Amino acid sequence: MDLSGEFHVPLPREAVFEALNDPVILGRCIPGCQTLERVSENEFDADVLAKVGPVKARFRTRIAVSNLNPPESYTLSGEGRGGAAGFASGSADVSLETADDGTVLRYVARVQPGGKIAQVGSRLIGGTARKLGTDFFSRFVEIVTPEAPSEEGEPDEKEE
Amino acid sequence: MPVNVSMNVNGRAISEEVEDRTLLVELLRETLRLTGTHVGCDTSQCGACVVHVDGRSVKACTMLATQAHGADVVTIEGLAEGGKLHPMQEAFRDNHGLQCGFCTPGMVMSALDLVARNPDPTGPEVREWLEGNLCRCTGYHNIVKSILAGASTMRGGS
Amino acid sequence: MAESGIGASVPRTEDQRFLTGSGDYTDDTTFPHQTHAAFVRSTHPHASFTLDTTAAASAPGVVTVLTGADLAADEIGTLICGWQVTGKDGEPHKAPPHPVLAVDTVRHVGDAIAIVVAESARAARDAAEQVEVSYAPLPAVVSMRDALADGAPQIHSDAPGNLCYDWEIGDRAATDDAFARAHHVARLDLVNNRLIPNAMEPRSAIGDFNPASGDYTLRLTSQNPHIHRLVLAAFIQIAPEHKLHVIAPDVGGGFGSKIFIYQEETAVLWAAGKIGRPVKWTADRSESFVADAHGRDHESHVELALDADGRFLGLKVSTLANMGAYLSTFASCVPSYLYGTLLQGQYTTEAIYCEVKAVFTNTTPVDALRGAGRPEATYVVERIVDQAAREMGIDAAELRRRNFIPADAFPYPTKVALEYDSGNYRLALDRALEIADYGDFAARREASSARGRLRGIGLSAYIEACGIAPSQVVGSLGAGVGLWESGGIRFNPTGNVLVYTGSHSHGQGHETTFAQLVSDYLGVPFESVEVVHGDTEKTPFGMGTYGSRSLAVGGSALVKAMDKIIAKGRKIAAFTLEASEEDIEFSGGDFAVAGTDRSMNIAEVAFSAYVPHNYPLDELEPGLEETGFYDPANFTFPAGTHVCEVEVDPETGTTEIVNWVAVDDFGNVVNPMIVEGQVHGGVAHGVGQALLEGCAYDADGQLLTGSFMDYTMPRADDLPDMTVETTCTPCPHNPLGVKGCGEAGAIAAPAAVMNAITDALGTNAIDMPATPQAVWRALSE
Repeated sequence: MDLSGEFHVPLPREAVFEALNDPVILGRCIPGCQTLERVSENEFDADVLAKVGPVKARFRTRIAVSNLNPPESYTLSGEGRGGAAGFASGSADVSLETADDGTVLRYVARVQPGGKIAQVGSRLIGGTARKLGTDFFSRFVEIVTPEAPSEEGEPDEKEE
Repeated sequence: MPVNVSMNVNGRAISEEVEDRTLLVELLRETLRLTGTHVGCDTSQCGACVVHVDGRSVKACTMLATQAHGADVVTIEGLAEGGKLHPMQEAFRDNHGLQCGFCTPGMVMSALDLVARNPDPTGPEVREWLEGNLCRCTGYHNIVKSILAGASTMRGGS
Repeated sequence: MAESGIGASVPRTEDQRFLTGSGDYTDDTTFPHQTHAAFVRSTHPHASFTLDTTAAASAPGVVTVLTGADLAADEIGTLICGWQVTGKDGEPHKAPPHPVLAVDTVRHVGDAIAIVVAESARAARDAAEQVEVSYAPLPAVVSMRDALADGAPQIHSDAPGNLCYDWEIGDRAATDDAFARAHHVARLDLVNNRLIPNAMEPRSAIGDFNPASGDYTLRLTSQNPHIHRLVLAAFIQIAPEHKLHVIAPDVGGGFGSKIFIYQEETAVLWAAGKIGRPVKWTADRSESFVADAHGRDHESHVELALDADGRFLGLKVSTLANMGAYLSTFASCVPSYLYGTLLQGQYTTEAIYCEVKAVFTNTTPVDALRGAGRPEATYVVERIVDQAAREMGIDAAELRRRNFIPADAFPYPTKVALEYDSGNYRLALDRALEIADYGDFAARREASSARGRLRGIGLSAYIEACGIAPSQVVGSLGAGVGLWESGGIRFNPTGNVLVYTGSHSHGQGHETTFAQLVSDYLGVPFESVEVVHGDTEKTPFGMGTYGSRSLAVGGSALVKAMDKIIAKGRKIAAFTLEASEEDIEFSGGDFAVAGTDRSMNIAEVAFSAYVPHNYPLDELEPGLEETGFYDPANFTFPAGTHVCEVEVDPETGTTEIVNWVAVDDFGNVVNPMIVEGQVHGGVAHGVGQALLEGCAYDADGQLLTGSFMDYTMPRADDLPDMTVETTCTPCPHNPLGVKGCGEAGAIAAPAAVMNAITDALGTNAIDMPATPQAVWRALSE
């Protein structure tokens, strides 16, 4: 399924882009992220505790950054393997546009669950994915913003 | 982590050390060897595991054993007295309310809770009550018939 | 009629234990020193993989972790398909290897990869999560059309184009000719939705091995323990037959899904041998959804040619049948010999041609499910008949009457290889219409309309072929087994009787029905008869229970055995009563000298046979025990008409079944109460298929309907009260005149429901399951 959202970040585009490539910040943005380490120039390994409906599992996740087009856009993709619980893979195309008082961050994400997560949690995966996406980017905004996020920082996301 | 659970099961006091994540149905089936209570799903939908906890029907797969600590638990094994079937069990037999028998304990325990709440249910009320009990064999026709007959006997009807 | 004899609704013997929680299901047993198994299963529909079991093997409580490589090292075989179908091209079907544990490549979500054996079920499950599987996903094909498309990803290297077989039956030229003469042709595309069997008891198996004797024991949820033993011994080669004891104790429903020889019981038995301890595995429901063979899954195009009077000139059917990722135990015969051969329906259709392509996809294997091929055939025939009736403006019942095979036309050779032995289709139809008050339907429709509801009525005049036989014929068609049945009768010295049957009861009530049969036939009290089944060391080799065969084939085998008992008893009685054997009459349990009051009860005969003090030992062996084997001369052909009346709420799309009438011809009936129950259950299965149940995969091959939260099982308030009656044309070729009743409802019901819904909606453009959403959409278009 496809998800998309839009956030306002009160920072210049270059600063936002840099933050989006910072493993420390990424690690703090991923909900349930226990550890995150860089394994190559554009790849990170994360250990994520996530729950989809009745299925709760620890996902060993490889996160990769691609389509780098600084400071305008990049693609963030990840595949989390939850052992017997199955897997979830997804990617998000993130684009940044300079606005009057900062940057508008837009993303379009796709999620593909597999195994027990798809089997038992398929009806819940949409909501969970939406929540994880929203949580990720709103945390990002929160972390990179010097003060508390403004009203415009609230997510405006829809499922397509 | 092991925990101690104590309860009355079919009128008998039991006390067992179990792992804290032990479900009531696991305590009944594996520790107490009361295998009449069945497990037919892992999402709390099928009702094969229905038992009574303090007089109310409960899906024993959805309750931790520790949650039943101190409770009165009745399973299908606790219904017949001295080899004589409970009127609801009798009604299931007389009306062919069971085939493979796997859902049957849950059906009977669920039916008894219905009759406790509503001694004179209608057919549609019985069907609605059985929302949480799946049967693949009978098409429910004879289960409904059995429960109506059992309720009637329990009311003192013929 | 005796109170407990043939024709009496005797309450069931087995109920006492089921009602008191004393049933003996596989998972209820715990052996000393038992270990528990959990399977690592593929989360990908198609992938190559590598395994690392190191962490799992050293996890707490783990006894062993075994993989496909270990199986290969032990030279354990792959799973088999027991019926080889030959295609149009004269070539046998493609049956690619089906490993017990996948090696290198997984081909459906749920494909077993490794077995983890541990001291407890929890430890096994915990450790299974520690098995590291690195998948390299391969492109998957989920739909049959995609699988057949040029350039589609190949699931098996030895099944080019993902084609298992391309099969045909009937006369293409004659059918083309019939269409050329047609006054009207009705056309329809149909989907027969994939179902997940969901017997309420999940599959379970406990393997055991005794190193001292070399004996293996397998206790499992099986509808046919001897077939399990045969396949595990002869083909998979875990142990020879005489060293393998298979027990199928109480089994909580099967519906076909417990016929097959699966990965799990094979792995569990083998693992028990490796560790020398019992190994138990019980599926959780999530596993059942991906690991039990699914059912149905056809896409068909059907055309019916009619003359100006509505007579059926020709029927043309083209079907795609999904086999899933591997060819399951009997998968190949379901959309061929159990499907194409039933397209004659109850009608005199002059020419029939059917072609079937069986297709591999990256989904769970598909095999026989209650009805197996016959529901699909009935659905095709009965939907197109209704459509033709509407298009030609002929009443649906009247069109059927015009085309019924007349009651005096039996035996009737069909255009699709079978010979119908008996039937009276008009009688069942007319009785069903009478009970359903068909004549008054228009007034009921009007009343519904006044309440804003759409009312429809649908008929299904189904036929099935049960008790699949004879062995020589099925052998010539590719079956790897015979399809006879065994029965044994053992009198004990005190006059009570043990009955051994190769059939297996998993809800059908054999312990009661067979006891009625034996009690009635031999004149012994019902209470003195005990039926033994489901144990390869107790019963003679038998073929098990499926295809509504138990009474027609298994019961007839018992008759064979009982005839031998009576013949021997006659000799014993003649000797004791000092009469000539020809003068001995047997009736009601007594051997009497004709025309005298001298007689001897069969219990006395039995005593004499075991305490042969006054006994013709020079002519007769002592003892009173006989075994019979019965190989039927033909299938039996139960048939009848079901009438379904529905009310649809056009606002919500909700369908309510407001009336159900079933009139079935099962031949003679032993226990009407049990037969009625079988019809109820079958109808529920068919209503589930028509209204609720639909297995859904996403485009990537992930199962979306993988639990009872998403796969809609029929519940009590989805189903109506039903009126069930029977008519009777006895089967002419088995000694009991019986036909079989276990699948009839599932075969009849889907077409009846869908004909009622299409009648209500006034459109044919709707497929099963007709969920509220599907109905609402059909109305909106």
